[in-house]
Amino acid sequence: MELSKLEGRIIGVISDNFQTDDFLDKLVSDIIVKKVPESLKMVQLENAVLDKKFRELSLRDKSKVILASKLHDQEIVLVNFSKGLTFKDFSYFKTLFKKIVTYGRRIILVDIKSELFLNCVDKIYVIEKDEVKYATADLFDKILELYIDAPKIVEFFHKCEKMGVRLDQYTELDELMKAIYRIKA
Amino acid sequence: MNDSYNYVVLANKIDRQFLNNFSEYPEIGELPYEELTKKLEFHPARRIVFNNTFYNLREKEIKKIMELLSSQNIKFILITSDVECSLYGDYIYVYDGYQKVLEGLKETVLKEEKVLKKIGYGLPFVVDLALQLNYYDIFDKIYWNMDDLVRDLWS
Repeated sequence: MELSKLEGRIIGVISDNFQTDDFLDKLVSDIIVKKVPESLKMVQLENAVLDKKFRELSLRDKSKVILASKLHDQEIVLVNFSKGLTFKDFSYFKTLFKKIVTYGRRIILVDIKSELFLNCVDKIYVIEKDEVKYATADLFDKILELYIDAPKIVEFFHKCEKMGVRLDQYTELDELMKAIYRIKA
Repeated sequence: MNDSYNYVVLANKIDRQFLNNFSEYPEIGELPYEELTKKLEFHPARRIVFNNTFYNLREKEIKKIMELLSSQNIKFILITSDVECSLYGDYIYVYDGYQKVLEGLKETVLKEEKVLKKIGYGLPFVVDLALQLNYYDIFDKIYWNMDDLVRDLWS
């Protein structure tokens, strides 16, 4: 499946067809080779990481190193980038992704965590056996749940809907809270 | 360690050095669901370290794994960066790098909103929502399960 044929600037992909990059015993300095100081800073890594072997890194730092190595590619493909990242990292990198695509580049997130797609991707594709099986721009689309667990705020929306309560499709907790308060008040 | 507890370790620097803290127990890494269940069905250990094991699994699969572990009387230490997984534990350790910053029963640790958000883990969605609903005087307790929260919110 040629990912470059998919439409969107930041694209979410649900698929088992892609493998996470693994650089094994390679030194980080041999993995991140373009605009090194700038790339490290953008992914919030210290210079000391350059002397380490990829295998020795934490899951979180592995994800960051992989991103840093691709930061200046025209099309950045990240497979299970969410691995090892915290909630705060998600927020930071979503902001970074949005900034990167303003320079005319594309980001493709092949991931198992839909929370990474929330408030970030333009379109989501389900790819099975090298074919697009489903595509949607809507994370609240129930069909998606056949393939991936929905973000928690979406799950909450669907559970409320089942109880006969129709909320707007909020993607931020603050906005959701205000809406609940208005109903309860 | 309390023999009757399942532990969750929230960690943002899961590397070999960190994992060595738990080396007295057998460790299982990421595995496909079928392979994992097969491995657990006849596992001889009474406690297992799950190293980010649930990352690839869907929630319904994790729930089945929990039932299987319970039926086999196997306890676990789950090491993860995903705060949603903390709901599976009885007792939680929170690390920032190699430094332990919090520990305690789930019901106590997950109320430490400021610390958990400052380190970057945040809170499980249901706990965060319940806390906000407490601030708005809609609830006066914390929920650990979304079905219970939704039922009580709208019933």
